[in-house]
Amino acid sequence: MDAPSNSIKIFAGNAHMGLAKLIARRLNLDLAKAAVLKYTNNETSVTIGESVRDEDVYIIQPGCGDINDNLMELLIMIHACKTASARRITAVIPCFFYARQDKKDKSRAPISAKLIANMLTVAGANHVITMDLHASQIQGFFNIPVDNLYAEPSTLKYIRECIPDYKEGKVVIVSPDAGGAKRATSIADRLDLEFALIHKERKKANFVSRMVLVGDVKGKTAVLVDDMADTCGTLGKAAQTLVENGATKVYAIVTHGILSGKACEVINNSALTQVVVTNTIPHEDKKKLCPKIATIDVSPTLAEAIRRTHNGESVSYLFHNVPA
Amino acid sequence: MNNLVVLSGSAHPKLTQQIGEKLGIPVGKVTLSKFSNQETNVEIHQSIRENDVYIVQSGCGQVNDNLIELIIMIGACRTASARRVICVCPFFPYSRNREPEDLSFDEPKETEANKKAKANTTVMDLSQLPEPPKNQTGYKHWTASSGTLIANMITAAGADQIITLDLHDPQFQGFFDIPVDNLTSQPLIAKYIRDNIPDYKDAIIVSPDAGGAKRATALSEILNTSIGLIHKDRKNKDNMQLVGNVKDKTCILFDDIVDTANTITKAAKLLHEQGAKRIYAVAPHAILSGDALTLLNESFIDEVIVGNTIPQEEHVEKCPKIKVLDFASMFAEVIRRIHNGESVSFLYGDSHNWEY
Repeated sequence: MDAPSNSIKIFAGNAHMGLAKLIARRLNLDLAKAAVLKYTNNETSVTIGESVRDEDVYIIQPGCGDINDNLMELLIMIHACKTASARRITAVIPCFFYARQDKKDKSRAPISAKLIANMLTVAGANHVITMDLHASQIQGFFNIPVDNLYAEPSTLKYIRECIPDYKEGKVVIVSPDAGGAKRATSIADRLDLEFALIHKERKKANFVSRMVLVGDVKGKTAVLVDDMADTCGTLGKAAQTLVENGATKVYAIVTHGILSGKACEVINNSALTQVVVTNTIPHEDKKKLCPKIATIDVSPTLAEAIRRTHNGESVSYLFHNVPA
Repeated sequence: MNNLVVLSGSAHPKLTQQIGEKLGIPVGKVTLSKFSNQETNVEIHQSIRENDVYIVQSGCGQVNDNLIELIIMIGACRTASARRVICVCPFFPYSRNREPEDLSFDEPKETEANKKAKANTTVMDLSQLPEPPKNQTGYKHWTASSGTLIANMITAAGADQIITLDLHDPQFQGFFDIPVDNLTSQPLIAKYIRDNIPDYKDAIIVSPDAGGAKRATALSEILNTSIGLIHKDRKNKDNMQLVGNVKDKTCILFDDIVDTANTITKAAKLLHEQGAKRIYAVAPHAILSGDALTLLNESFIDEVIVGNTIPQEEHVEKCPKIKVLDFASMFAEVIRRIHNGESVSFLYGDSHNWEY
């Protein structure tokens, strides 16, 4: 006998309430009632306001803002739902916590991404949905299923519709570093465009390295693609190098717009025409400081993933298509 | 001491420094910082391969930041092949079971002011016993009790042992699968009282709420004094009852945690009204958040005696009534004994010569 059907309950922490509301609206639901606050001594307080017994719970909390506070909120919410007898708990983490600390690259470095994976499992998550993991091998840190969605279909759609000169074929896809080459070539292949790479050349140890362009951008619009834009130092220098090599305009399309520190200043003063980020991380306040920032909405992809996971349908459609 | 390293988190480096001095070893070199996007960065600058690492991190200040820092330090020590990783948490975070509050679940308007307000102000005051929720649907709120989660997280990160002091809820030790040493500050506090409160034999140890009765009784047995209890009437919050006679006596209010100081200052008021001669307040853990310092300064309490499980320098400047007992010797002695594989039972006896 099949288990009786249950409903989707979407909870949101304080990291990105806006995205959670968009996702809920697309699924034709209200956000489930929860109060996530702080006690006087800075401990996090989570109170669930409706019954989650035997329900399919989705908790939306990207790794941004006050990261450690948001991480604790997520863990405590997962634990609260687990002890409240939810049937399944899925952590929807559009931008994964500590994703860049994923290997021991020097002595005694912690592998924080692995620790976060352990914490999520120990708190009681049964499933994780994330987007554009910094290294897709991070899925292997978990013993529970992980769905790593791609922002690529949304990126392709944006380039087709919003980058001028696309129709004339005068666009080159550029990767700002060697590590992102695979991502950039995948996009270039799907759009049937040319590809270029920027490479940091280290002449000597401890010397300021210079950036070298591998490929041709003369007279073309260059589109830089990367997974994260944090301080934007790399993007700014890359744009400069492209302009020096003859690019007419430089765009940047980045999945996770962390934009911390002096990022807005760097973008404003750089040769970039526009920096496009998805809404995995809230950035309304950054847009006021920097008019060059534009947004791609990925809530349809996340909402579709939630709907398909709940109904037991395949999610593969989302790897190559943007939901209508 | 061979193969022993003591590392400090950012919560209470001064205590770690003092512990290191008592042990006669320098504190390990660690750089703790945050990346530009607020993620925690831990760099350990000396080899800890095959060493016993003691990480001292209290659950105070920015609690979530310090907790994640602790977990990342444990992870770093594990991947650096430490032999054992032991967490020393003088004040253990998330150890209190919170009463459910009557909350409104309406969506707050998302404004900048709201976001800033959320960061700086607080909503909950746990020292008040709440009214039961007034909703009609029959569903009560489910307030998360995070104790098990924190225990699981620390174990999953790879800690081998926990050393803590005066856990709010002694049953908390059972949440862990790894050994927990729950130290007690009562013998040290008893020694302080004997040395510094002149007529302590005639004093009365008072618990400011019913939950602490057992604690107060234990201390009074060590000192051989009488006890009293203050009890809040659930129906009428302002009506507090005193059980015991305090007229013309020295009263010692004894609780484990002083957070907002609401409970303890209201208790002191009641004792004063009932004729107490002198009022002391003693608590090993002094969080003193919100308006606590103002409340203490204006209260009828003559002296506030606290432990240094949480940094107290700022509090002492703002409230001259505070006297701080140093627990570093106790922690240092316990670390020494655990490292050498000796018994820690000395802690519970009366024969040890305590330093505070």
